[in-house]
Amino acid sequence: MNGNREAAVRTDDVWKVFEHDGIAVEAVRGVSLEIRPGEFVVMAGPSGSGKTTLLNLLGGLTAPTSGRVWIDGQELTAMNERQRARLRLERVGFVFQAYNLLPVLTALENAEFSLLLRGVDADERRRSVSRLFERIGIGGLENRRPGKLSGGQQQRVAVARAVVGEPALVLADEPTANLDSAASIALLDVMTTLNREMGTTFVFATHDPRLMERAQRLIRLVDGAVEHDERRSPSPA
Amino acid sequence: MIRRLPLQLRLATRNVRRQTRRSILTASAMVLGVAVLVFSRALGDGAHEDWIAQGVRLGKGHIAIQHPHFQRSRHLDDRLTPEALALADAALADSAVAARVVAVAPRLEIQGLANSATGAVPVFIDGVDPTIEATFSRLGDRVVEGRYLEPGDRLHAFVGQRLAERLDLEVGGRLVLTGQDATGEIAGQFVRVVGVFRTGLPEADEGIIHIPLATAQEWLGVGGAVTTLAVLLESGWVVSETLHRLETLLAEDAGEVTVLGWREAMPELDAAIRIDDYGDYVFHVILFLIVGLAIVNTVLMSVLYRTREFGVLRALGLTRGETAGVVFAEGVLLTFISGVLGMVLGFVVTWVFFRNGLDYSGLLDNEFTFSGVVLEPVIVPTFRVVQVLQSLGSILIIGVLASLYPAYRATRIDVAEAMKFEA
Repeated sequence: MNGNREAAVRTDDVWKVFEHDGIAVEAVRGVSLEIRPGEFVVMAGPSGSGKTTLLNLLGGLTAPTSGRVWIDGQELTAMNERQRARLRLERVGFVFQAYNLLPVLTALENAEFSLLLRGVDADERRRSVSRLFERIGIGGLENRRPGKLSGGQQQRVAVARAVVGEPALVLADEPTANLDSAASIALLDVMTTLNREMGTTFVFATHDPRLMERAQRLIRLVDGAVEHDERRSPSPA
Repeated sequence: MIRRLPLQLRLATRNVRRQTRRSILTASAMVLGVAVLVFSRALGDGAHEDWIAQGVRLGKGHIAIQHPHFQRSRHLDDRLTPEALALADAALADSAVAARVVAVAPRLEIQGLANSATGAVPVFIDGVDPTIEATFSRLGDRVVEGRYLEPGDRLHAFVGQRLAERLDLEVGGRLVLTGQDATGEIAGQFVRVVGVFRTGLPEADEGIIHIPLATAQEWLGVGGAVTTLAVLLESGWVVSETLHRLETLLAEDAGEVTVLGWREAMPELDAAIRIDDYGDYVFHVILFLIVGLAIVNTVLMSVLYRTREFGVLRALGLTRGETAGVVFAEGVLLTFISGVLGMVLGFVVTWVFFRNGLDYSGLLDNEFTFSGVVLEPVIVPTFRVVQVLQSLGSILIIGVLASLYPAYRATRIDVAEAMKFEA
């Protein structure tokens, strides 16, 4: 997957400034990055360092105040709302800290949601999701609704939802923050396996040292700017 | 957006179906509002039907056939001649008309004076056919002394209680009626009181006298003529079509015969019903506003409560418009379900508890009269298909309008902010 040589995501001098009571707060300051397909990237930094804001900028959930963002070679910042929604659907997967599954849908329906939006037929959706569920250890839970799943199981469903459409990148914001140690480790195992076997590009925003240990590339943010960007060999899963 | 319409509807349906408690809470206000609406409309329509039924019986029927000028002149010169009566009879024999007609009462009506040894009182004197009138105006049901006119009566009169009191009359008492006859001369007619009635309606109890039709025709010198053929139909809902049919049949004879619906023949009753209708409309508009606000409130609360959920939908690839579509569909779906349930509840409550009528006689000391009609102290609710469709249509329109704002609010959700939202 991602056989082309375009960067999975690229930014060029991206700034994000919020106004709070007339005071300008620079949440992201002049970030230029290029993340290659298949990378397992962790963005770390203290609270307020701009990790989540940068993640939102990479996924097109927030528009930058200035600068440009490309996903899989397509310039996100030149698109209208409808085009951005389309790009998110086809090229980006999200994993959120609070799982954010739709409570009225079953695990399977949540996981297949992006395929449904893309118009993939029902049989193919079910096959893809069932295969993925088996692979990430939640086979048999397809018909349970989120309220009937543990936190770890819900987050795996969220990961399945993010990767099932084989996006150019998956953005994960503190995915282990609400999980206990065992569930966190199990989830990290799942994501490193998917990264290795499916070539899925992961970009994390996290404080979790266990996740940082596994990163192929660690980007440290301080006060909205990249302080340190290091490519390295991750610890074995 | 259209391509994904089934998805939006499916999501909306799931939300309504699987969030049972929220849906029930949301729907309950609407169900109650619609049930009250159905109940009040059924009672309102029932009351109006009763007013019309009472009014037309005491008055000129659902349809009055008269000389074209009589309604304004009230003069014997403008009477239905035997030739005009023959034309009217032929029109009434038309199969489409005859099927709707319950009774036709010939009346010879004049204004005159009732005189006794005590004094004189202006009155409406109606020459009537006792047999037909007994089932038409049903004044015979309101006898307080004596009896109603019967076939074979000649110099007899049936008078109201207040008139009897003013003229100091009892059953068997004598009075002289005076009025202008067909030649324009003042003519008198001696009659004897055969019975006294009380409707509770002062103008009727003091101002109406029934005498046999043949007596009136002979006294006034009009031969076989009458002034009005009062036509009673099977119900007030068939007046328009029957009136139209009669107008068509008698169109060529418009110089001699005209056909009036009860609204034209009894403009006071028509005005009273319109005023009451207006009151009902105001009440229903207020009710609709309450139901509409309930929808706006509950659907909007649901949007605010589920900010994160809608943020997720946006993050996953739904556009603003599509997200709004989910909210809108939910609002309309809830409204539709609530509308149907409310109507069923309204019908059931009305039918179970009030099918024999809502009796408010305990609230009244005397008869309740309104615009020349003595109202029965029991209102029997009426249901009609058009009433059901109007209520359902109105509720749906309210639901659509009330769902627009929450849907708009859903489009304003900032996705990144929504992810931080804690319900």
